[in-house]
Amino acid sequence: MKNSSLTAVDAQFKHNLDLMNFEPLNKFNHLLRLWRVQGYLDLMWMTQDWKLFLTYYASDLFLNIAAVTGVLFLAERFDGIGVWTKPQVTFMLGYAMLVRGIMETLFGYNIFSISRRLGRGQLDHTLVQPHPVWMALLTEGFMPFSGSASIIPGLLLLLWSGTVLALDPTISWLFLALLNVAASATILLSFSFIWGSLAFWAPRATEEISSSASGLLRTLMPFPLDGLSFAMLSGLMTFLPVGFLAWYPARALLGLESDAWSELLTPTVAAIFSIIAVWIFKQGLKAYGRTGSQRYLSFGHRR
Amino acid sequence: MISATLNKHYKTALMEATGHIGDSPLFLLDYMLRILRVIILMSLWQMILANKGSVDGLTLETVLVYTFLAEVFRQQMECRGSGMETAIWDGSIANRFLRPAGVFSQFVAQMFGRWFFEFLFFSIPLLLLSPLFGVSILPSSPVALGLFVMSLALAIAVGLAIELIFGAMVVLTSTVYILYQIRDAVTTLLSGALLPLAFYPWGLGEVFGWLPFASMASAPLRIYTETGDPGHLILLQVIWAAVLWPIAHVLWRINREKLVSHGG
Repeated sequence: MKNSSLTAVDAQFKHNLDLMNFEPLNKFNHLLRLWRVQGYLDLMWMTQDWKLFLTYYASDLFLNIAAVTGVLFLAERFDGIGVWTKPQVTFMLGYAMLVRGIMETLFGYNIFSISRRLGRGQLDHTLVQPHPVWMALLTEGFMPFSGSASIIPGLLLLLWSGTVLALDPTISWLFLALLNVAASATILLSFSFIWGSLAFWAPRATEEISSSASGLLRTLMPFPLDGLSFAMLSGLMTFLPVGFLAWYPARALLGLESDAWSELLTPTVAAIFSIIAVWIFKQGLKAYGRTGSQRYLSFGHRR
Repeated sequence: MISATLNKHYKTALMEATGHIGDSPLFLLDYMLRILRVIILMSLWQMILANKGSVDGLTLETVLVYTFLAEVFRQQMECRGSGMETAIWDGSIANRFLRPAGVFSQFVAQMFGRWFFEFLFFSIPLLLLSPLFGVSILPSSPVALGLFVMSLALAIAVGLAIELIFGAMVVLTSTVYILYQIRDAVTTLLSGALLPLAFYPWGLGEVFGWLPFASMASAPLRIYTETGDPGHLILLQVIWAAVLWPIAHVLWRINREKLVSHGG
């Protein structure tokens, strides 16, 4: 006789497998369900210990604000920086915080620092899930409540600067703004994955490479890059795409760029970076399929 | 006896220095970030201060030297690298209590070892490359250099006490990373390592100048660039060191029995 609980698991597994082959709409529904589950877990984590949650949240809030305070102080003291007026600098910093916040909200639990998961052999946890890897990576890091400590102050800075600058956003401007924010976040994530994928081949040596690489971008992203030489700026717009995380898109959205298509440059670069990231990650997955991980321990810690 | 103690700590420092490449293979990436950051900061200053003469007693040349030296001596001014955070996180701090050496001094030796490596492979090359950055880092006089060295030593004393106090708070609150991240953020902001305190708006710089964090970076940098009164700054550093070290000791005495080693 077949075990009834096993039958239920089998049925669920089959259902999930079917979903993978379903129409795009069903995949989207499945994504929404997974986000809902993660959101619920985040809410549970938050409400089970308010003291701990508030400690973490207040700390995150403080850290995110502190990351942009230096440039904000400079803008206040000198009434702007170079060609940037004070509210324009604030807009750029709000943009930077929002991009950072999106990363923390959508790609927490070491999805953003993917080399940690790969280096520790924890990708196996993702591979046994009854849905595709991309779906797991897109949903497992969703932390809408605890991860929002950067989104809220970022939005407030954008609102404040938008009011002072008397921005009168049209629908198309808002669309372009959202597109640019999403593109900057994609570039940040892709950069982390491009470097992080090295952990497929060198798990121990590069376990922390994602955090180092993205830390590099996040540290530099609040600074206006106008005064840099052409060679330096070219490097920061290609190999190390710091310029696209806040500086250039903010310039484009505020009309500081003369080129008519400037608002579309960041999304184009995001598309290029994401293609490279997906390709490298897939190569890494192939290698992982042959070698697996020697560092996995059943209780979750690495060797 | 003294030589045996020194030798133990020397060996610890040496192990840390030589093990740095193996333990932190990404150190070159970190150095790249630091150089990039200093280039961006210097271009920022050139954008803000060019053709402005002296602002709050600071010229462009002074600020460039200030920024450059802050990066060269960043390890010493931040006073990080003791490994205390990791030791608390992965539980290895329990072993430190069993070793035949003081717990604090083990961390300090480890920190000096790390500093030695970075000083050799980052700070000295950066100092030698200073002309490429358009910065003249030569001190104005031997006395200014002597006062800077004295102030830097006191900055390390204050920074070490703060490191130990934060370590104690980690044990008390069981929150490792958050507290250390806050420590880094607070230190960067309040110490004047990123921006000279004189440029802080709303008179904040004057207030922050009295806090212990300013003794970690702003004081030696102001002494070197001759933009502050050395007597006042060094006295303040001595006072903070004298106040903070007993607090660190008391906190660790209370803490010792509360230490829980979970492993990481």
